[in-house]
Amino acid sequence: MKYKDYYKILGVERNANDDDIKKAYRKLARKYHPDVSKEKDAEEKFKEMSEAYETLKDPEKRAAYDQLGSHAAGQDFRPPPDWFQQHAGNGSTFEDIDLADLFAGLAGGRRARASGERARASVPIPGQDYEAAVRLPLQQAFDGTEIELDLTVPEYNDQGFLQRVPRRIKVRIPRGVTDGQKLRVPGKGGKGVNGGRDGDLYLDISVLDHPLYRVSGSDIYMDLPLAPWEAVLGTSVDLPTPAGTVQLKVPAGTAAGKRLRLSGRGLPRPSGPAGDLYAIVQIAVPTVVNDRERTRYRELAEGSTFNPRAHFAAEIASGAGRGAP
Amino acid sequence: MNTNPMFVSGEALSLESGELSYTQLIQLSGLSESDLAALVDDGVLQPLDPRASTWTFASHHLVVARTACRLRRDLELDAHAVSLLLRFIERVDALEAELRQLRAQMPGWR
Repeated sequence: MKYKDYYKILGVERNANDDDIKKAYRKLARKYHPDVSKEKDAEEKFKEMSEAYETLKDPEKRAAYDQLGSHAAGQDFRPPPDWFQQHAGNGSTFEDIDLADLFAGLAGGRRARASGERARASVPIPGQDYEAAVRLPLQQAFDGTEIELDLTVPEYNDQGFLQRVPRRIKVRIPRGVTDGQKLRVPGKGGKGVNGGRDGDLYLDISVLDHPLYRVSGSDIYMDLPLAPWEAVLGTSVDLPTPAGTVQLKVPAGTAAGKRLRLSGRGLPRPSGPAGDLYAIVQIAVPTVVNDRERTRYRELAEGSTFNPRAHFAAEIASGAGRGAP
Repeated sequence: MNTNPMFVSGEALSLESGELSYTQLIQLSGLSESDLAALVDDGVLQPLDPRASTWTFASHHLVVARTACRLRRDLELDAHAVSLLLRFIERVDALEAELRQLRAQMPGWR
């Protein structure tokens, strides 16, 4: 079994009193709680400090933890010979038990000793809910997919103690999931005990960046570069969308920044119409031109009366935006 | 540790459509009945028909209710402090969604 230094995790001395422990936990919890924190690794850190606090705030668990002695964090160790008998009322092995599960199990052991095995057996205990982060490419989010998750989860063994077990869960993801969405997989969490319901598995979806598309909710945005003459004369372009290529008509005189909307070409929604896809026009210019092209541009420049900055003079003259004298 | 994984399969359900009964919301979120009542009083959770004898909720309320349960337990807050915190989280989420939308509209943004 690997040792975890719960005092160090909470940043308190081994002789800290209950109040110091509570204060240290609350201070860290405000900083790292995954629902409010933007800190990197917040979830992992919060899990670690919750585990430490759950043990140290309970006088009986803390005494049992202290009797394990002090070791370096991560060091393999064996508890004193009679430790398990004394604290958990059971001669189970330590070999494949996580420290967190061991102390979580102590509460169950205490209840069992207090009320007797028969009473314990009759109390339904619901299974734990599991959470897993799932990162999907945009195309899979669009189409729906099937994923396999490999989780290591705490489950009760035959002796009624928590142990880490590997679980492989195949999950069908519906089409049209969005970044930040949560999905529920009923009954695929921890097993309930004594007739308690099985827990659920919750998936936190994030959609990976795509080189062409930018997603906002169920809408998709993409850049549409046009050559200057395409923007002036109008054109028809083959536009790749997650549902396949579509032909998009670009009207003559299309300015840079204009959004061309393709209704219903965004991500599908579980209920209601699909999102939209927006192609945002950019005017792309060639950085290298040959002599013939340069001549044509010069002819165009000399022959055109178009002034893209004509409004400058008019707006300056009108005094728009000036404060009162 | 046993290294042979147990294999199971399931269907992921969106929480954006469908309804949950009062009992289901309590069971699935882990909230107590009194905390759920406080969150409804504070307007954080809205039953589909507040005057109905038995409340039902839109499924997406489960995400809020589970967050409320975690905040209540982990930060040792009372239910009304949780309501206030959820309001702030909701505002941050809305602002982040707006920021994502504006960025998505910016040509060349990655």
